[in-house]
Amino acid sequence: MTHLTLSNISKQFAETAAVQDFNLDVAKGEFVSFLGPSGCGKTTTLRMIAGFEIPTTGKVVLDDVEITDKAPNQRNVGMVFQAYALFPNMSVAQNIGFGMQIHRESKATIKQRVEEMLALIHLEKKGNSFPYQLSGGQQQRVALARALANRPQVLLLDEPLSALDAKIRVSLRAEIRAIQRKLGITAIYVTHDQEEALSISDRIVVMYEGKIEQVGTPFEIYNFPQTAFVANFVGTLNTAVAEVVDPAKRLLRIDGVELESAEVMDGRQKGDKVTIAIRPERFNFIAQEKKANVLDCTIDNITFLGAVVRIQVLVGNNRFYMDTFNNPFLELPTIGAKNQITCSREAVLVLKN
Amino acid sequence: MKRGGRVWSWFWMVLGILYFFLPLVATFIFSLRAKKGVLSFLAYQQLFNDSGFIKGFSYSVLWGILTNIVGILIFVPTAYWVRLRAQQFRTAVEFITLLPFVIPAIVFVFGLVRTFSHPPFLIVDSPALLIAGYTVLSMPYMYRSIDTGLRSIDVRTLTEAAQSLGAGWGTILFRIILPNIRVAILSGAFLSFAIVMGEYILAQYLAKPAFAPFLAYLIQQKAYEPAAATVISFALTWACMGIINLFGRGQEGQIAGGH
Repeated sequence: MTHLTLSNISKQFAETAAVQDFNLDVAKGEFVSFLGPSGCGKTTTLRMIAGFEIPTTGKVVLDDVEITDKAPNQRNVGMVFQAYALFPNMSVAQNIGFGMQIHRESKATIKQRVEEMLALIHLEKKGNSFPYQLSGGQQQRVALARALANRPQVLLLDEPLSALDAKIRVSLRAEIRAIQRKLGITAIYVTHDQEEALSISDRIVVMYEGKIEQVGTPFEIYNFPQTAFVANFVGTLNTAVAEVVDPAKRLLRIDGVELESAEVMDGRQKGDKVTIAIRPERFNFIAQEKKANVLDCTIDNITFLGAVVRIQVLVGNNRFYMDTFNNPFLELPTIGAKNQITCSREAVLVLKN
Repeated sequence: MKRGGRVWSWFWMVLGILYFFLPLVATFIFSLRAKKGVLSFLAYQQLFNDSGFIKGFSYSVLWGILTNIVGILIFVPTAYWVRLRAQQFRTAVEFITLLPFVIPAIVFVFGLVRTFSHPPFLIVDSPALLIAGYTVLSMPYMYRSIDTGLRSIDVRTLTEAAQSLGAGWGTILFRIILPNIRVAILSGAFLSFAIVMGEYILAQYLAKPAFAPFLAYLIQQKAYEPAAATVISFALTWACMGIINLFGRGQEGQIAGGH
């Protein structure tokens, strides 16, 4: 059931189109991430849901009620900011209870809910502390509790982990997801960190230059990117320009070598140039005789990345990455050696643009 | 630091201290010589027994308090709004707030008298005009203190956080913004208060009782009491500065935590 709908949303700042023709339906309890580089319009879209920006065109509908022009304080929307935005003059408990005070809840209700929220974020003993006495991670958990205490219809999170160090980011994102699942609240999460988006979301909206590039589950976004931007932005990807040899047989040619793809090539003609994409982990060295999708290559560089070893190879004029899992008995090729790599036909993606 | 550099630092510091404090010390000693041959507080006693002094001083305190109330009510929302929504006007507003430094008070007071001494603005006799004038004169101190305070907090994000929790403008201003710039407001208020206490031209030409016109009158009439009044005036200004420092101490951590 659709809980939040954004229809034909666009936002114009003077000459700049920050968001263009944005359409999205979010189901109740869903965790959706807006992913994209700086300036792609993800935060602007989030701010339009919060009411801090009014769309130039389009509608925002929450639980069948249009809220497009409603003031931020008239929407029941909780927001967590990158800069925490805790009120420095208030204790943790006062911060969490602030929204309920505004909504004139009784003192007993406020006290009870503040305690519930403190337990939820595992900061039971910090109720009387002030924000400046907490670490960054603790402050952000308080900000989350404050946003949730009002029982908002939607929780909006604007790059909430960006200001934290790597380890805390990982643990806190798991905590945010666990809390969101526990409360069953609809959440919209803005991030430029693809790993964060892939690990936390039910669905990801990849944005670029104010437009939606692709909407899908993390699995779909990673494994089946539809555009060159998504393919390059999410994860490491090898891209190359190939020539269509036989659309019916899904046969392509790259640097004189024929490659088979599993993708349907409707509308493609023989001789068309297309961009293909292959994930580094889908390449293997040839272990036995194989006829299809074999690429002659020269080992160009080898980089040790911990769990993964990244091997850079030259295939004609194209430079490809190949990832292989690290193990203590791995036999690595020598740099400059000639070799052959291969991939399955399903690994060869033909991008839309 | 090299030895020679340190000697010169001390030299300039001692010179500065002498330059600032010698006249004050001399004034203080002079104020103690009202009784011939001995040092006494006679001039201070006489001053406190003078109804003119009490009246002038009390009125100046009253004008100072009223000026601060009006100043806070005008400048806090203005500085807040400029930071939040009207950044493009910031330079213009800052320029306006500095005008009292470049427009002589005498020019300003004649402007006030000319403008407000005939209908429809016949308020030249009202203390409101004096308060308005003082508010303008204290504007550079009050506005800049508040603006500095606002700069130390993330005004926009705090405002949006409060809005998303359901707060309206009044709540945001009084429960979020004001408490977090309390120190800055107090600094501005004490500076304004010190300015009003020592201000002569406005009170004199608008014919309102105040401390500075009384002091000027006293200088023409007596010898030792004006010196005593000057020392009291300085002590009051320093007390204001001391209070500003007192309030400012220990606030940094709290403000930094706001980010």
